[in-house]
This record gives sequence, C-alpha cells and structure tokens, in this order.
Amino acid sequence: MGYKDETEISDFQLWDKKRKNGSLFAFDIELTARCNNDCRHCYINLPAGDEQALKKELSIEEIASIADQAIELGALWALLSGGEPLLRADFKDIYLMLKRKGLLVSVFTNATLIREEHVALFRKYPPRVIEITVYGVTEQTYEKVTGRPGGFQAFMRGLNLLIDGGVKLRLKAMAMQSNAHELPAIAAFCRQYTKDYFRFDPQLHLRFDRDEVRNQLIRSERLSPEQIVALEQGDAERFTALQQGCSKLIVDEFAHTESDHLFYCSIGEGECNISYDGIFRVCSSLWAAGTTADLRKTTLREAWQILVPKVLGMRSQRAEYLENCRICPIVNLCLWCPAHAELETGELDLPVLYFCRVAEARAEAISKTTGDSQP
Amino acid sequence: MSVSLETIYVQSEDVVSRIIEDELIIVPLVSGIGESDDDLYTLNETGRAIWSRLDGAKSLNQIAEELLEEFETEAETVQKDLLGLVEELVNRKLVMVR
Ligand SMILES: C[S@@+](CC[C@H](N)C(=O)[O-])C[C@H]1O[C@@H](n2cnc3c(N)ncnc32)[C@H](O)[C@@H]1O
Ligand code: SF4
Repeated sequence: MGYKDETEISDFQLWDKKRKNGSLFAFDIELTARCNNDCRHCYINLPAGDEQALKKELSIEEIASIADQAIELGALWALLSGGEPLLRADFKDIYLMLKRKGLLVSVFTNATLIREEHVALFRKYPPRVIEITVYGVTEQTYEKVTGRPGGFQAFMRGLNLLIDGGVKLRLKAMAMQSNAHELPAIAAFCRQYTKDYFRFDPQLHLRFDRDEVRNQLIRSERLSPEQIVALEQGDAERFTALQQGCSKLIVDEFAHTESDHLFYCSIGEGECNISYDGIFRVCSSLWAAGTTADLRKTTLREAWQILVPKVLGMRSQRAEYLENCRICPIVNLCLWCPAHAELETGELDLPVLYFCRVAEARAEAISKTTGDSQP
Repeated sequence: MSVSLETIYVQSEDVVSRIIEDELIIVPLVSGIGESDDDLYTLNETGRAIWSRLDGAKSLNQIAEELLEEFETEAETVQKDLLGLVEELVNRKLVMVR
C-alpha cells in the first residue's frame, strides 16, 4: 500500500457519486400496515387493533437482520413508513437500532402519536428527515379525510412538539376530493414551516391488498383531470417542473427504440421496499405475481440480485401497450407505470383511462402556456 | 486542543464507521458532531490506516511506529500527518482522549 501524504477528512457526499451498478443504497420499510387513522384515500391501512396484521409484522430481530443484509449490499439510507410507524410499541428501539448500524434514517408519520419521548429521541439521534402529511388545516377537513374524531388536535399537538423541539421536518399534502377546497390553506400552512420543501400529490393509486370496497373509496377521492390541472397551474413551482418534464419528454430515449420492455423508470436503481410482513418489492407499488419475494424465506441478496434483473427484463406483446403507453409522448405527465397498471387492471401492460385523461389535460395546459399545440 | 504523541485516543462511541464501496465513511449517531447533523466524513487510505488504530489501546507514538512499518515513508511525515489528522478528528468530536 502506498503512503498518501494527505490525511484530511473530507465531507462525504455519496449522492454526488455514481454508484456502482447493482448496489443497493436505500430501503423503505413499512413497519406496520396498521394505523390509528383511517384515511379515505389510504392504500395500506388496517385498523390499529388488527390482531392478524399485528401477528404478521416483522419483529425487531427480523428487521435488524434485513438491515444487516441491506448494509452488506451497501445501503446507507433507511425510510420507516407504514401504516403509522409510531403505532409500534417498539418504534423507538427499531429507530435506534437502525441508527446504531450507521444508517441514515427517515420517518414518514401522521404525527398524531408524537410524544415528548420521541422528540427527545429525535433531538439526540437526529433523523435524516421526518416527513409529515398534512391532511387538512381545520378540524372538519382533517377528520373528514382521516376518519378519526380528535385526530386534528392530536396532529397539531404532535406537530408542535416536533417544531418546538427543533426536529428537522418536511410537511407535505395529498390532494383529494375531501380536502380540495382547503388546499391553498394547506399549502400555506406547510410552507410556513418548511419553506424550501413542500409538495402535494394528487395522484392516488389503488390498495396493495386489492380490497375492492376501499379501492372504490380511493377512486371516489380522486380529483378530476380538470381539478388537477387547475391546482397545478396555481402552483408555479410544480407547473414549471411539469413543463420542464414535458420539454424533455421521453420521446428520444423511449419512443424511438423498438423495444417491448415494460419498465423504463428508475426501478432497481439502488432502492427497494419491504412490507410489514417481509415481502420484498423492487418498487413500493409493484405487487404483481412473480415480482416479489418473501424475506422470511429468502435472503435480501437473493431477492435483490435475482428479482431486479428479472423485472427489468420483463416484456409485453400486448397491442394495447405497444400501441399506447409504450410509445406515448406524454408518459412523463402520467401516473401510468406497469405497477400502477397492475393494481388497477390486474395486468402490467394495460392502459388506465383515468391516468390518460390526467396526462392529456396536463399536456393541454402546458401546450397552451408554451403556445405549442404539440406538447 | 493540542494533540500529543504520548496520548491514547479512541474513536467516539457517538459515530459509526462503515465501509461502503471501498470507502470508509464515518456516520455521526448523535447531534452536535461536525458542523451539521447531515455531515458524513470519509478518509483516504492513509487516514483509514490511522482511524482503524485509534482503538483506545495504542498511543500515537505506537501508531506512528506501526505506520512506519506498514508504509515506506519518513518518520517525520508520518508524525506530522498523524498529529494533523487526529487534531482534526478531535476537533470534530469523532475521536477523543481515552
Ligand atoms: C401510507 S402513508 C404512511 C405514513 C403516515 N401514516 C402518513 O400518513 O404520512 C405514506 C404516504 O402515502 C400517502 N398515501 C396514502 N394513500 C395513498 C394513495 N392511495 N395514493 C398515493 N399516496 C397515498 C399518504 O397520504 C402519505 O403521505
Ligand atoms: S395516516 Fe397514513 S397510513 Fe394512516 S390511514 Fe392515513 S395515509 Fe394511511
């Protein structure tokens, strides 16, 4: 080994570096599917007291073993989500265990269960970030979305504890029928606390457990294409981002190739998801048969090294796909992807009419502002 | 704080060091290390050789001897680098006097 006559410490910026192909750098884990809220739009929640769901949850030891395997594959980031992760009695132990392994840990929470002890934990062992969803800024709207009396007060209390404790936060919103009227106020509220970061998401996908009654509820909460466009046009930042996305539509790399591959997104580029009961997915919404692995029966390395190439190699011969989504010039403006298509239609390669309508409405709005009739 | 060759230093319990893709990365576990909670640090090969020896058992003099055995270089260079790096590590609270 040669001696390098320079021994300064440098700040390490992993995200600036090009990672070696095939390494894992982040994993998301749903600590539970249970939640103390019952949001109308939720793709995952089961009741807080659901015994069956509780029994199936990964134990802290199982989570530690998965984290060790992820670390061996190179992981530096871990995201704890749910359901409501704070509903787990051992949340603090899990959080600290992952921190002690040298992971940078983020948490997605509804904030309603935050207590002083969490604030003390986050102050001493800082998270990468805590992201909180703001479902409404009045009791009426918040509780209409989340379905729980007293929820708004609990949310405000938890949020204020975190803010007063100086914990790093990001606030975000979901846009749906039940809170559409309040979105400008929600946006203003969020920006008041996190100026540099606020996003709202109007694109609701369907349930992971395919519960048809709940899926109907999600569909009924979806904003119309016109509502989505009006919202986005009112949000300068977001509209500019969409315009930029549109100006470099996938046409060049995507539509010209004669490929029948299904996946063109960043799937498998260093990230994976793990469900509350240990199911590995290449992407959070991808539950199609043959694309998942049970980490109680197989190792993370096997799942990562076998499933990612397999999924990336999946192809379609279906005319509806090859003649529509596959060559669609506005796919960048669309929620369509094989995973969401499968949750909607049961097939990875069928178009979804609602998604098309949203993308078309967005393209029209953009072409109007740019004066270009061909977006 | 001045660093001396007779002193024994130890890696702080408040950081975790990891090797990711052949790089040593030092991840702070608690707040108040470095300038911001988001800072991560990396060391080059020589820095790594020093870091791994800051075990709370060897003095910097002993570490300097080991480094001289491992690397073909001048004693003066090794001492200067060792003192420089350890001072920086101590200032950033990544390492402390045992
Ligand atoms: C499932 S929640 C888990 C974390 C926490 N309970 C919360 O509400 O923030 C994660 C995020 O997904 C959002 N979400 C829920 N249902 C959704 C759906 N059908 N489509 C898209 N996002 C959804 C939530 O609003 C939240 O921002
Ligand atoms: S708070 Fe989060 S997990 Fe709970 S029901 Fe709402 S969206 Fe789902």
